[in-house]
Formats: sequence, C-alpha cells, structure tokens
Amino acid sequence: MNRWFPVSACGEVAPNSVAHTQLLGQELVLWRAASGMLNAWENRCPHRGVRLSLGNCIGEELRCQYHAWRFATGSGQCTHIPSHPGQKPASTMRPMVFPVFEDGAFAWVNLTPDAAMPVSAAEGPGLNLRSIFTVAAVATVRQLLLQGYAERAVNLVDEFTLEGAAGPPLGIRFMLQPVTQGQTIVHARLRGAIDAAQRLPLLRTHNARMTAVRDRAEALSAC
Amino acid sequence: MLTLYDYELSGNCYKVRLLLNMLQVPFTARAIDFHPVREHKSDWFLKLNPLGQLPVIDDDGLVLRDAQAILVYLASRYDESGRWYPRDDAAALGKVSQWLGFAEGLTTTAGAARLHDTQFLDVDIGKCRAGAHALLRILDEHLWFAEQEGQQWLCSVDHPTIADLACFPYVMLSEEGGVFRMPYPAIRRWGERVKHLAGFKPMSGIFPAATLTPPGGSPPIPG
Amino acid sequence: MIMSNPVNDSPPVESVLWDDWHPVAELAPLQRTGILHTMLFGVPLTVTLAADGAVAVSRHGAGLPDRRLEHVDCRYGLIWASLGTPTRDIIDFPETRESDRIVCTGGSVGVAVSGLRAVENFLDLGHLAFVHAGYLGEEPYTEICTYKVEPLPEGGILATGCRVYQPRPSPMDSQGFDVDYVYAVRRPYIVALLKANPVEKERMDMIALLAQPVTEERCVAHVLMAYPPHNVDSASLRWFQQLIFGQDRPILENQIPKRLPLDPRAEISIRADNSSAHYRRWLASIGVRYGAVPIGAS
Repeated sequence: MNRWFPVSACGEVAPNSVAHTQLLGQELVLWRAASGMLNAWENRCPHRGVRLSLGNCIGEELRCQYHAWRFATGSGQCTHIPSHPGQKPASTMRPMVFPVFEDGAFAWVNLTPDAAMPVSAAEGPGLNLRSIFTVAAVATVRQLLLQGYAERAVNLVDEFTLEGAAGPPLGIRFMLQPVTQGQTIVHARLRGAIDAAQRLPLLRTHNARMTAVRDRAEALSAC
Repeated sequence: MLTLYDYELSGNCYKVRLLLNMLQVPFTARAIDFHPVREHKSDWFLKLNPLGQLPVIDDDGLVLRDAQAILVYLASRYDESGRWYPRDDAAALGKVSQWLGFAEGLTTTAGAARLHDTQFLDVDIGKCRAGAHALLRILDEHLWFAEQEGQQWLCSVDHPTIADLACFPYVMLSEEGGVFRMPYPAIRRWGERVKHLAGFKPMSGIFPAATLTPPGGSPPIPG
Repeated sequence: MIMSNPVNDSPPVESVLWDDWHPVAELAPLQRTGILHTMLFGVPLTVTLAADGAVAVSRHGAGLPDRRLEHVDCRYGLIWASLGTPTRDIIDFPETRESDRIVCTGGSVGVAVSGLRAVENFLDLGHLAFVHAGYLGEEPYTEICTYKVEPLPEGGILATGCRVYQPRPSPMDSQGFDVDYVYAVRRPYIVALLKANPVEKERMDMIALLAQPVTEERCVAHVLMAYPPHNVDSASLRWFQQLIFGQDRPILENQIPKRLPLDPRAEISIRADNSSAHYRRWLASIGVRYGAVPIGAS
C-alpha cells in the first residue's frame, strides 16, 4: 500500500534509541541514530531472522543482538560482521528499509520502499496527546470517534484521519495507525496555541477521554 | 558476610542481586537447585523459609524472606544517601510502598506466566497474561505522565528507588511468558534508564544496554 | 518419502520423524508428581509413572482414539516415546557409560520456536562472544576461524576443528582458554556438543540438546550432560546450563519465521555458519518438513 501512516510522536524515539512497532501486519524496528536520523526497517535481521528491535543503537549503526552484525543508518547496509572482522560485508546483506518522514510532530512511514516523500508543510503549534494502543480493528475505532468526541462532532478527513473541535480555540486531529487486523494505535494532536500551564491538564483530560474510547472499542471487539 | 539464597533465573532474586551490586554490598550467593529438583521445597530450606520461596538472605544472623522486604532492609541498612528508600519523607515512602505492592502483582501475573511457559508451572495462563497486561497498561500510563513532568523514575524525579528495582525484572522478562511489550513505549524507555544505572548487571533473558551513553546522549546516571 | 498417520486434519508427519524416538519428559519431575501432560507433533500425551517404576505414555486428541503408546522407554533420565514404529534404537551417548562421569539432565525448558531452530542455535559459534559474553566467549575474540564439517556415515553431520576463546567455559571458576569444540548431529532434533574439559584437556565435557517437537513452532529443550568429575556436581552443572540457555531463549523466541528455513536463499549464511549450512542441507536431503520451511514452500 502506497500511503503514509503515523507510527510515533517524534519525541517518543530519542537519539540513540530503538523502538518496536507494527503497521498493517508488517513489524518495524524504529530507531534513531545519534545524529538524529530516524529509521524504519523490517524488524528482522537478514542473517538468522532475529528481531532487530532487540538490538542496540551504537552511534550511526544498529547492532543485532544475536551475532552483533551492524547496519548503517539510512541505507541499512551491513557494515561489520564480527565473525569475519577483516571482511567487507556484501551490499545485499541488509534488512528492508522503509521511507520515513517527520513533520515536527509525528513520524510517518510508507510500506512502499520507493514511495516519494510527501509534500506538506510542517505542523503548526499544538500538543501531541498520548498515543493509545487499542485492541480493536481500525474500523471499530473510526466508527466510535465519528459518533463524537467530548460531545463535539468529529469528521472524516480520510479513512485514517479524523478531525473535530476540542474546545475553542483548539482543534483535535486523530490519526489512526492500523497495527494488525485487530489492533490500532490512535495518535492525536491538539492544534492551536497552548500555554504552558494548560499542557498537563489537557494531556490528562484527553488521555482520560481517549482511554474511554479505547475501552469501548475493546468491549465492542470482545463481543 | 551476607548470604543470599539464590536462583540464577529468579526475577525476585535478581532484584536483590541488583541492589546489592548498586549499593556495593559484598555477599555470597548460595545457589539453590530450583529446577527440576525443587530444593526450595526441601525440608532444610523450609526451616529457613516456611513459604518455600526465594530469595532469602542471612545477614549476620538476620534471616529475611520476600524480595520486597529484603530490598527495604538492604536500602535502610546500607544506603547512606537514603535515596533508595526515603524513610524521612512520608509521602515518598507511601509511593514506594504502593509500587512495591504493584511489583508483587507483577510476580503473580507476568512472573507466573513466565514459569508456566518455561518450566511448566500449572497456572491459568490466559488469566495470568491478561492480568499482566492490565498492570503493564497502568505502568505505561504512569511512566508516560511522569516523563511529561520530567520525572525519570517510578516514584521520584531524579533518582531511582527500590520501587524501580522491584518492578524491573518481571516487566523486562514478561515476553518469556507470552506477554509482549510493543504496546508500552514508556515502559521501554524506563527499562533502558534502569539498564544505564551504575552497578547494573544483566541476567539471563535481559539484554544489557549497549554502551554507557543513555538514550538522548547524556552521561551515565549515578545510582 | 514415506508419510505416516495424519494428525487431525494436518498434513501427515514424515516417517523419518514420526517413526523415531523422541524425549517427552524429564524423569525427575515425573517421579515427584507421578503424572505429566505434554505434546508431541501436536498430539497431546499423558506420561505416568506407576509405584513399581513402570512408565506409560498415552495419546489423546480430537478425532483420534485414546491409545497407550507401544514404544516407550526411560533412558538418560528422560522418558522417550514414539508415535509410530521405530526402526532403530534411541540415540546412543557413549560418554554416559564412562563410570567416573557426572551424568545428569539439565532441567527441561519450554521454548516458543521450532526445535530445529534450537538445535541450530546450539551449533552456532558466532553468537558465543555476545549472547554469552563473559562465559562462552568475549570481545575482542569474535573471529570464527574455518572449521570442518563432514557427513556422518550413519546419517547426520560432524563439525570438528572449532576453537573459541572462552573466559568461563564451565561451572568451575577456571581460567579462560581456547576451547576445542566438536558437534555431532545424529538425529534431526538432537545435537551433542563435546568441548575440552578445563582440567583434563584430552577429555571432553558432553552436553546434548534434545529438542522435543511439541508443535512446528514450539519445543521442549531437554538437556543431557556427562562431565568428567573435576570440580563439578550435578547442581552446578544445572545452574550453569540454565544460565547459558536462559541467555539463548529470548533470542530463539524472537526468530522470524519460527520454523527453520531450509532454502539457502532464505537467510544469509557466512563462512562461520558452516555447521548450520550443512545441517539445513542434511535436513532437506532426508525429507524433514515438520518444524521447517521446506525449499519451495512459502
């Protein structure tokens, strides 16, 4: 599918760290090099298939936890095989690399490896809310949100994006990450100017509301 | 010399080994033949701990069972900074105790699931895993909001307490019992911070941190 | 390739596995409880130990009649059974008959991966300095020099000439040294390792991994050890084995796919993977499919 999906709020993956996510059934290792470059690769070392998300970021490389093979940021090329230290690894020895885009608020991934970068303006002022992992299909979550949020209408922007008002002057945008058939992550962002004193109360208020949506979606899915 | 009655693969014993290392308290480990011999249920061991559980310590004649109780004792007796178990701050102490209780819940859910999958312990595995996920959801939300307020640890802004060590092992070993942690990014970041503490040592099933540089790039965190 | 009884509506399990002996339980826990429940090739089994020491294994499962298995034995501290009709004996471990050796099982462990992956991990040398750092290897001694792998006349493979620097190769607190390794795979799901003993360097410590194929993606890792009696006892051997295998287990459970790919193009092999390449080729040549991704399958 040639489409960009959010996989994480930008601040959730610090430099020198490794995270694990999944998009439309495809497991991904999401890791940020010391320099700040964010990578999204298939979560499987090409050597013996071990999840790369078990590995460590060492500077500009990701090191697999099994045999300590190292792969370079950006290209994913294998740079070092400790069992044969003098040899240069072949360029074919690499995990599948997916394109990543950051808009200042969220990191977006496309599962089509040669997809063109999206053309969009950087996100304006606002506040990323806590992303909510939901054991429910994306359609279930979408339907629930469309019924309204915080007693206000929510409208469909596209299949995976919804918007509403969050109490003027703020708007709220929901971005759905389909993890697998039965799991969805709901990312959300308040849009508008927010002063520092409002930050934590807003985070808590919306977290309570969104976890209520999660609980309803999961109850519906359990039937 | 303090004696620790120990099993290499026990998360509860590991908590105590961690604090002993971090406080630099010398000790002798007396290995108990846990699996499949079950030496911890033998007559001689039941005299030491009638519950037939590990860990037990013998500190110059003071015999204590229960991992959380041992952590309380070791911190009170040997931590000159008073930070690991803040006895002089009633509110902080209350919070630590709250999370020590939570750690016990992790043992009977995530810990039990792990023993079921690895050593064939007879438990209701579905109930254990569901129970573990319920606790991990609470933990992830707590840690996420703590991060929003610049707080790095379970109970305090800038230094770990025994609550962090009490919860760490069975959280980090949860996948061995089929409790997967992809939905819990804040837990992942907290686990990395624990791994960067001075005096940290891994155990089988917990991978060490890559280098001394914690995520984000700042220098090692003193214990 | 001969096929045997179908299990439920799954494809039949190939005779080379179905008609062979497999470990299904460790004796020690059975002696304590008298009864254990387990599974072999997806077939639920009940293992019982009578007061007179007689062992019985029964199979159950939807669509199959309950039946006591005819081929059951107790050897090496393990219970063995076959769901089919074995044409050869249980594998032999001659080291267990040397009268001065400490012979014991290591504590069986459930693993959510194909038993074939567990055997291959046991053969692997490149991970020793990383997964078992401080014990079976350490940086910077990561280079794996060329070693020899040859077929065994009765079937299987033998790897010799492997040598790794090990800071703590066995439970004893001995000095680190360059340890000579020999591996023998004589059954698809069983591998024996012989490694130089720290005290008597001409004798070899024997550790065998015997994987019980519970399903195609799950096994029980049984372990048998036979060590010369220098500075070890069965408790310390179990401690060390569980520590080491406890380090391997999360790696194994995070391999994708869980079944062992037999197509050499599915995963990248380097020279250090010589044993693994031979192992996969041998499995394919004798028709092993259960627990594997056969060549040409998706």
